[in-house]
Amino acid sequence: MEFGPIWRAMLRNKGGFLLIALQIAVTMTIMVNAIAIIQERSRNIARPSGLDEANTFTLVSVSIGEDMDNKSLIDEDLDLLRGMPGVLNATASNSMPLLQSGWSEGLTLEPGEGKSDSSSALYFADEHTADTFALNFVEGANFEPNQVEWRNHEVNDWPPFVIVSRALAEDLFPDETGSYVGKTFYIDDDNPVNIIGVVERMQAAWQGWSGLERSMLVPQRQDWNFTRYIVRTEPGYREELMPEIEDMLVKSNPDRIIQSVRSMDEVRKLAYLGDAAMIRILTFIVALLTVITGLGIVGLASFNVSRRTRQIGIRRALGATRPAIVRHFMVENLLVSVIGIGVGGILAVALNMFMVEAFALEPLAWYVIPAAMSVLLIVGQLAVAGPARKASNVTPAIATRSV
Amino acid sequence: MLRMNSVSKVYRTDTVETHALREFSLSVEEGEFVSVTGPSGSGKTTFLNIAGLLEELTDGSYELDGRDISSLNDRERSRVRNEKIGFIFQSFNLIPELDIFDNVDVPLRYRGLKSAERRRRVERCLELVGLASRMKHLPAQLSGGQQQRVAIARALAGEPRFLLADEPTGNLDTHMADSVMELLAEINAGGTTIIMVTHELTLADRAKRNIFVRDGNVSDGYGSDASPELHFASAANA
Amino acid sequence: MFTYYLKLGLLSIRANPALSSLMVAAVAIGIGACMTIVTVRHVMSDNPIAHKNDVLYHVQVDNWNPADPYQDPDLPPEQMAYIDAKALYDADRAFRQTTSYKTSRIIQPDGDDARPFTLDVRATTADFFPMFDVPFAYGAGWDRASDRNEERVAVLSWELNEQLYGGEDPVGQMLTVNGEPYRIAGVLDEWTPVPKFYDLNNNPYGAPEQLYLPFSLAVANNFNRSGNTSCWKPVEDGGPEAFLASECIWIQMWIELRDASEKQDYMRFLDAYVEEQKLLGRFPRPLNNRLHTPEEWLEYQEVVDDTVGILLSLAVLFLVVCLLNTIGLLLAKVMRRAKDISLRRALGASKSTLFAQYIIEAGMIGAAGGLLGIVMTWLGLRGIEQLFIEYDFIEHLVRMDWSMVLLAVALAVLSALAAALYPTWRACNITPASQLRIQ
Repeated sequence: MEFGPIWRAMLRNKGGFLLIALQIAVTMTIMVNAIAIIQERSRNIARPSGLDEANTFTLVSVSIGEDMDNKSLIDEDLDLLRGMPGVLNATASNSMPLLQSGWSEGLTLEPGEGKSDSSSALYFADEHTADTFALNFVEGANFEPNQVEWRNHEVNDWPPFVIVSRALAEDLFPDETGSYVGKTFYIDDDNPVNIIGVVERMQAAWQGWSGLERSMLVPQRQDWNFTRYIVRTEPGYREELMPEIEDMLVKSNPDRIIQSVRSMDEVRKLAYLGDAAMIRILTFIVALLTVITGLGIVGLASFNVSRRTRQIGIRRALGATRPAIVRHFMVENLLVSVIGIGVGGILAVALNMFMVEAFALEPLAWYVIPAAMSVLLIVGQLAVAGPARKASNVTPAIATRSV
Repeated sequence: MLRMNSVSKVYRTDTVETHALREFSLSVEEGEFVSVTGPSGSGKTTFLNIAGLLEELTDGSYELDGRDISSLNDRERSRVRNEKIGFIFQSFNLIPELDIFDNVDVPLRYRGLKSAERRRRVERCLELVGLASRMKHLPAQLSGGQQQRVAIARALAGEPRFLLADEPTGNLDTHMADSVMELLAEINAGGTTIIMVTHELTLADRAKRNIFVRDGNVSDGYGSDASPELHFASAANA
Repeated sequence: MFTYYLKLGLLSIRANPALSSLMVAAVAIGIGACMTIVTVRHVMSDNPIAHKNDVLYHVQVDNWNPADPYQDPDLPPEQMAYIDAKALYDADRAFRQTTSYKTSRIIQPDGDDARPFTLDVRATTADFFPMFDVPFAYGAGWDRASDRNEERVAVLSWELNEQLYGGEDPVGQMLTVNGEPYRIAGVLDEWTPVPKFYDLNNNPYGAPEQLYLPFSLAVANNFNRSGNTSCWKPVEDGGPEAFLASECIWIQMWIELRDASEKQDYMRFLDAYVEEQKLLGRFPRPLNNRLHTPEEWLEYQEVVDDTVGILLSLAVLFLVVCLLNTIGLLLAKVMRRAKDISLRRALGASKSTLFAQYIIEAGMIGAAGGLLGIVMTWLGLRGIEQLFIEYDFIEHLVRMDWSMVLLAVALAVLSALAAALYPTWRACNITPASQLRIQ
């Protein structure tokens, strides 16, 4: 190959080639960092909530009158829900994973006021909650029905038992190697609670929270005007049951409003709206950028070809075959691209370090860099192929034309 | 060496057919120094393009070094140009962004020679034209005569069987033109066949044989008596 | 002469239609990407109450945990506990003052088949409306007497009035809220402050509440809190009264002070109040009272998401790529016309005339790119709107205003001129007649 003379000729025409190299470098910088962010956001979205999301939905009941007997209403509703053919189980709670609003508590290992040792999302639960949430117990057991109490605005008592997610147990007792069941911690300064069960995974309600995997079930039912029901159906029945159940509950008691009937898919979509949008924006930017850089290379290569028409004819006259002319331009582009991606690699890492520092992003995975390099090399070669073919069609007879 | 028999070249556009060469026949033997002259538009350049395999002929046969050219494909034609023919152009046609060494090196690279062999040949040819000290210069840093000598070095580097020179002194002053002509004579004396296209009759005289082209055909002698009527008549025959 | 250059530029642009459109498109896309993000950022970081920035203050006092500051490094809580909100409000030491929180209520529209629905409500005080220059379409807010008497009065948003009364004037009519009749005192004109500066704790980029009711009434009747509530100390048993007496924070307090001396006085008053409370055993942390203007408060709360910053950095780099593209193409164009330029130089064109010619040509490409860039920005904003279509307030975050349009054109022209500098410099350095020789 004729790297030598092509390289030396390029050095005599630095400006133009440097611009393409720089353009490729900055394109690569953006591409690598965008891909790193896309990967991070995709990983976020891919985190499982712990629920049987495909077969779960949720709805809210709000009592209209202040003097409504909420306890009976909730019991009636849950009986109706659990009796519905196609429903596997149902529960009432204050919140659920992915919902974006919920209740959190600071937890301590010693009683009394002081700095929290951990914090956790809290879901009020009955003995059906674990099954409705499709939780997988790694040790211990579910609540017994007689352990579940009512909680209202008048009292702020805490029950003596909770079920925790494994992540919460590990955060509270980092040195424990055996069983977490039977361990005690304190909630609201001096209320001791015992772990009676540990589940593999149960996310908190806020996907942006650093403690996302820390949550617990508290065996209390809320005697409030506002009740959230979570319903898990047999596989394939959800879509059909959602309107039926809404209708059934609306008819069963007119003194309340049924609202926010949402499948877990919708709940998840809302929770990750920002992440999903970011992924699509960045994907679009990367695609557009690649096209622009490709077009820029096509434009400049076309110019180079038309500027060097005579030279191409001379080369042809001196014995260059058509493939040799094509190769000439491909090699030229390859050299420029290699400089571009070399500089781009450095810039990409620098920008990534800045972003990690400024926006607390995760550092990028090493393989993104060679991947982006390959993509840009291929784009460059494809972009230059057209003008190079055009160049190879220049007639050698041009060499005998007077200038 | 070179044998053209009834070669025709027709340029076609949508509306016009131009007969640049018609029934053109010529034979050049090994070691000859032939000049081709003729007025502007006579078909000199077309002859040169066809002889140099820069263009394909429309009709007739062309044999170069015992090989029928008309049946060759583009790749084979490129190869013949590269190996058998050395070109010297009126406007030198050096590649402006390559230095002198790389310019002379161009045809050798297309032949695929090894680096050491290329270097040996480039240096030898540049010495031959007296420019070995200017190897790292760019064409623009040389005078016209020097540039043409580089072009000759480039033509010789491939050790071709024959040289095609197109108005080799057209852009040079008399003094430089003389030195270039002397160089060509020397090369011819070394056994290389030379065909030189020129419109300068004084230059043509320095060749061993003169061909005069008019209206796309060979005419004997210098025949400057061509009348407008005849010109018109033969065009009408086309 | 200028028009001559314009004509030359136009000729040159028309002579290379593919190349010129590629350059215009590159500038336009770069500007579009940049301006889309800049516009979103501009809207998100706007101060919607800038015209009263020097008189409004958000009030913070530090009643938090002695062992653990509300937020590092030693920052006071963002909201206020009821005991403090009530005491400061009752002291009445500011020109205007408001305490408010977010709640939700159920509306029962008139008519037999109309179904009741819940909506977001702001429980607030009379001064809220004049303090924040809230525009009214009909009627007005309530007065301080209504606050004192816990009257059932209501102010409706423009949208709610459209929904319930078809946009007619409902002032004086009764609205049923959770079964109780409320007198309608006023209806707001369209009012969508972005961000919702008066309550940055609860979705600063959400829609403002649709109904405004007296704070005193809401507290007395234990209206639910639908915003954030944070507590550092357990709440004693004893129902709503115990909660109101707790250190839990959930109220936003704003005051209006007319000048620096009023501000000084108020700070002194706040300090005295906290010192007095310390004697009663509250406020275990050091004195840490703060008054923030809306602008300071927006900054303090860091409402603009990091995502916008990330996108902005990438968008700026994107513009750089588009500009490098343009520089490269302009340079190629200049180099191809080297002969023409050298001829002009030989014919007596000075460097400065050449410079003017090429800069004007680049400026024209920049202007075209800028205009097209506005279209691209509009498209980009529509794209973002589509991505967030489930978020029903998004239309207020993707608005373009004239300042953004002007910025887009200015940025485009500036970028194109910057891009033209190097190629023009190269053009000016082509020596006269150098290119007229044989190559």
